[in-house]
Amino acid sequence: MTEARKKFKRIGITTGLISGITYGLYTTFVLIAGYYKPLAGAVGLFAAPYVTSGLNDFFAGLWLTAYNIKTGRIREIGRSLKLFPGKIIVLGSLIGGPIASGAYLMGLAMAGAYAIPISAMYILFGAIFARIFLKQKIVLRVGTGMVICVIGAIVINWVRPEGSTNFTLGIICAFVAAIGWALEGVLAAYGSAMLDSDIVINIRQLLSGVVDLFVILPLAGGMGLLKGTMLSMPPVAWLIVSGLCAAISYLCWYKSNSTVGCAMGMSLNITYAFWGVLFCILFIKQPVTPTIIIGSIIIMIGAVLVSVDPFELLNKKEEVTNEI
Amino acid sequence: MLLPARTAVLNYLYGVESADIAQIMGALKSQYGTERQFTKDRYMDHVMSLEANGLVNLESYDLDEKGELRMRYSINEDGKATVDKYVDKKYRNHK
Repeated sequence: MTEARKKFKRIGITTGLISGITYGLYTTFVLIAGYYKPLAGAVGLFAAPYVTSGLNDFFAGLWLTAYNIKTGRIREIGRSLKLFPGKIIVLGSLIGGPIASGAYLMGLAMAGAYAIPISAMYILFGAIFARIFLKQKIVLRVGTGMVICVIGAIVINWVRPEGSTNFTLGIICAFVAAIGWALEGVLAAYGSAMLDSDIVINIRQLLSGVVDLFVILPLAGGMGLLKGTMLSMPPVAWLIVSGLCAAISYLCWYKSNSTVGCAMGMSLNITYAFWGVLFCILFIKQPVTPTIIIGSIIIMIGAVLVSVDPFELLNKKEEVTNEI
Repeated sequence: MLLPARTAVLNYLYGVESADIAQIMGALKSQYGTERQFTKDRYMDHVMSLEANGLVNLESYDLDEKGELRMRYSINEDGKATVDKYVDKKYRNHK
């Protein structure tokens, strides 16, 4: 049993880390897609972020649909939607996709990599919502982690990068993303306990993509931009790859949550804040400033502290070692 | 329409004291047996995830005649409450 449990734990930690790395890659690829015409230089605050967000989620949804067809689970989508928990998932998807992920990409477009660690504060808001809706107490460790997150956010915003016109608005959008994802998390936790998480993610991504592209974009006057983007090869190719990264990230995150527990799964996933900033520095020449480096590290420490007890982690490690 | 497979596993466990993966799959074979998702790995994933979500408990484990790990699961009070709340009565196999 020890061997099986160790293997189970190893899978959980590996998938958790992969979810963080692929989310960092997704973020970077989406930013790269935005550098190509017609997305680059598109007018309006909403159109370009919602074209990228919508196409990314839609492609992620298609990748997941292909995966679920291959594993013989496509009928599970209809079955899940028929149950009340499935309907809660739909509500969570609408908040997490069109609202939060759209805001995340608007934040990235306006504040660059600075938006990434701010969005990682969804863990903090998750703890607050769990306190309000699920009546979970906020223990000293979680409270300390929250304060550290806030300090990190202040550090990141201390120096505004040169030449950025909408920096503060971008940071506010990243906060909206963090709040939206936290609400989605609470709803998803409630709705997905008795459903297959691979199906839940499939519903989430596909629905988010469809609503972004066919409800929000027409309202934001972005259909022309969508058409132009679809006819231009490079951004679509980058978004197909970013969609794949997002799909893998979500699959691995849920897998990790169900093998090593939500707290550890979340703290491994949250490393995307580090990977995202690192990949942006490596691939898209994001300027390295002391505030972004120090702020990202502080927020990551705070976020990990909110989601997992470091002493408990050490004890668990000892427990496993003793069993060998 | 059938229940989602994971829900069907939980619903089945409500009607029995405890069961291992082979017994669960045996009971659900007539409904889900023809689908490609009907594999031991997938059903292992279902019960372990239900356990991680606090709806079933691992009762015992041993090795079967082939030397493979065999785990027995039972539904707990939270699991029963979830089925009572969300699964339509026509699907229930318990009294």
